[in-house]
Amino acid sequence: MKKIYLTLILVCTNLQAQINIYSHRHYDSDKILFKKFTDQTGIKINVIKGSADQLIERLISEGGNSPADILFTVDAGRLHRAKVAGILQPIESKILRENIPPSMRDEDDYWFGLTVRARVLVYSKERVTPDQLSTYEDLANRKWRGKIAVRSSSNIYNQSLMASIIASNGSRKALSWAKSIRKNMARAPRGSDRDQARAVAAGLADVAIMNTYYLGILANSPDAKDREVFKKVSVFFPNQNDRGTHINVSGAGITKSSKNKKDAIKFLEFLSGSDSQKTFGSVNYEYPIKIEANQSELLNSWGPFKYDKLNLSVLGANNAEAVKLFDKAGWE
Amino acid sequence: MDISALKSQKPLQILRQELLFKLNGWTILSLIVGLIIFFPIGEVLLSINSQSENWSHLKETVLLSYLLNTIILVVGTAFFSLIFGVLPAWIISNYQFKFRKILEWILVLPLAIPTYISAYAYFDVLELFNPLLIWVRNNINNDLMQFINNVLVYMVTILVMSSVLYPYIYLLARSAFVNQGAKLRDAASTLGYGEKSIFWKIALPMARPALIAGVSLVVMETLNDYGAVKHFGVPTFTSGIFRTWLGMGDLVGALQLSAVLIIFIFALLLIEKQIRSRSKYHDTLHSKPNSKKMVFGKKGSLAAIICCLIPLILGFVVPVIRLISWAWISRNKAGTIISMEMVSNSLLLSLISSVSIVSIAVLLAFTARYFKSSIINLSNRLATLGYSIPGAVIAIGILLIVAQINAWLNIALTGSLFLLIFAFIVRYLTVAWQPINAAIETNCDSLNHASKTLGSSAYTSLTSVNLPLIKSTLISAGLLVFIDVVKELPLTLILRPFNFETLSTATFDLSSQAQIIESSLPALCMIGIVLIPLGYLNYRLENIK
Repeated sequence: MKKIYLTLILVCTNLQAQINIYSHRHYDSDKILFKKFTDQTGIKINVIKGSADQLIERLISEGGNSPADILFTVDAGRLHRAKVAGILQPIESKILRENIPPSMRDEDDYWFGLTVRARVLVYSKERVTPDQLSTYEDLANRKWRGKIAVRSSSNIYNQSLMASIIASNGSRKALSWAKSIRKNMARAPRGSDRDQARAVAAGLADVAIMNTYYLGILANSPDAKDREVFKKVSVFFPNQNDRGTHINVSGAGITKSSKNKKDAIKFLEFLSGSDSQKTFGSVNYEYPIKIEANQSELLNSWGPFKYDKLNLSVLGANNAEAVKLFDKAGWE
Repeated sequence: MDISALKSQKPLQILRQELLFKLNGWTILSLIVGLIIFFPIGEVLLSINSQSENWSHLKETVLLSYLLNTIILVVGTAFFSLIFGVLPAWIISNYQFKFRKILEWILVLPLAIPTYISAYAYFDVLELFNPLLIWVRNNINNDLMQFINNVLVYMVTILVMSSVLYPYIYLLARSAFVNQGAKLRDAASTLGYGEKSIFWKIALPMARPALIAGVSLVVMETLNDYGAVKHFGVPTFTSGIFRTWLGMGDLVGALQLSAVLIIFIFALLLIEKQIRSRSKYHDTLHSKPNSKKMVFGKKGSLAAIICCLIPLILGFVVPVIRLISWAWISRNKAGTIISMEMVSNSLLLSLISSVSIVSIAVLLAFTARYFKSSIINLSNRLATLGYSIPGAVIAIGILLIVAQINAWLNIALTGSLFLLIFAFIVRYLTVAWQPINAAIETNCDSLNHASKTLGSSAYTSLTSVNLPLIKSTLISAGLLVFIDVVKELPLTLILRPFNFETLSTATFDLSSQAQIIESSLPALCMIGIVLIPLGYLNYRLENIK
């Protein structure tokens, strides 16, 4: 009897093609897209969700025996780290190269950006006018003393922002920027990006540094108080006259140990296609990788913007330096 | 007993004695099991030898503030947990008043709520103070406002943590007070002691071992917390470990920080043991548990009820009402968010873990006590360290060990339920081992001696003497482990198999994508599940006394 069961299980698993994903993303948009992909291709998708860092550690631990085919993260820095750790492999795909702008994928094709988030300034409609705002650097000015809300520097989005500032201005200037921002904070950093918008709406701070994605969450929250917060604030894209607003990508790479490489590539190509890109924007308030092709109403309401074309691998390369500078600046 | 034996003999002699007379199937098996459980922790400790490139950076910049924040948080949480736990325990075990019976029961309810969920439920409580802060900034100055803000952050974090952790102290203090007995009280009052002095000079000092045990549980839970401190922005040692590991990509540095933390905890435990071993706490009067209770008047009753209600409201009523109101808003999503599979995964995982952990705890405790083996006693101490180490650090240790096995056997052991359950054993063994070890010590030690003289085998002693005598402890220990595993997050998150969701991972998923309101649905389910064994456990405890 046991043998029959075993054979049955083996046959079943062999019959259905499948890919295994380690993902940091917990979003409904992904659930929808995974299902759509399975419906279209018959390829089953298995997922383990966890923090990217721990998933990377798990991949390293599993080595060549890892069942994972794809690592999916919410920032380029960790993809870069996975590449350096030697757990990803380069992919050749014309479709991916065509669909994804060069700055949003690895130069050696180890990983590919799939959605974009911009780190913007969110300001109080009551107390700030857009002409008072200009760049991230300007927030270090004394005039913003006690008026800025931003979360802890343990968060990857702040580390990536800092990494881009290091790339643009050098470590020394980046450190003094972080010191001044710390002095200008309305309160010691705490909470998520969302809580920074709350602080602005409550009058505690005038400007928050946060991701566009969280504004979408506030705007569509089931809680009326959240929607109230959204109404009191507005979005400003900084650094439009120089390098552009800092962006980061959610992206994926194929693991070195992948046993279903062909299907995994097919899946990434599917996610980079225009239909999937539309889903990311409308369900999850993320920009598509071709930002100008964005079709989400909410995102469009903030208008087009110029983004920093720094290759996002640099964010990963500068990440450790960024954390050290934060430590030195006393930005908790 | 083993420690004093160690002191009086030369190590070599002990070793010879151990090898000659105590080497048998039981001790060998226990030693192997104990060491395997200790491996992941040992791996973390080993890292203290290697030098992280960032260590001097950490020392120069953040180490001191991690240490200070951690100490403030630990001391504050221990202090408020003591107040929240001891006062109701004292009132309930000595006085009669309205609603006493029900209060006695429901005071343990906050145990059902993990600290990270309570922190979510209170996520915006600090916003209530915004008007005050803004007023201070506009009318006095920014520095004072920053100061007030910082004080508020610590106060709220400490109150949120202690209001869910106090039941550890409450439970132990209650049984200590009850067992102190009526005769002692009578003697004290004849000697002219008032109520106050009986409490401060007799009852409290006598309950010290129980209180210290409770406080050390609270301290470990506080050190293990990552969610609440992250949310309220208090950079503690635990958050520093993650920052160094994830932010700087420096695993060695993170492991070194963890090793410092482990040594810190080890020192605390040792000090506690030293303090305790110097004094003896026997009730030589052999008096019966205190069943006669003084009756409170109306005013007294009211004060007593308020005393008991404050921690309960903070730790249970407010968070649960908050969660229920959120669940109500998002009720139409319940079908898509919660699945039967999630619930059964949580239940099954906790059930299997409880049974395996209790079985291993029995094996280890019995072998050490029955054969009076100091080697097994030592390996047991090492194997039960896991509870004091943050779950995510244990996960690193396990991944490091498993990496070697994976490469060696050419498999991927991660992602198997087996490994996940092993991880729980590493983390929660002590939860079952402590009470089982104590139960064998008090109930079975002398009987084991007798049965040995009568020539029974160890197996017969275990099955026909020990197990029947400690049956109720086994059940309580199993329930305690069950409650812990249902609430567990970091280990499940990183070591789980594909497509495997439990109620706690679902709660985390939703809240980490900023859907705190929706996350109330699995959170409430989890609390509901924990309430069942918790209620039963409490019922048992009351019947025992």
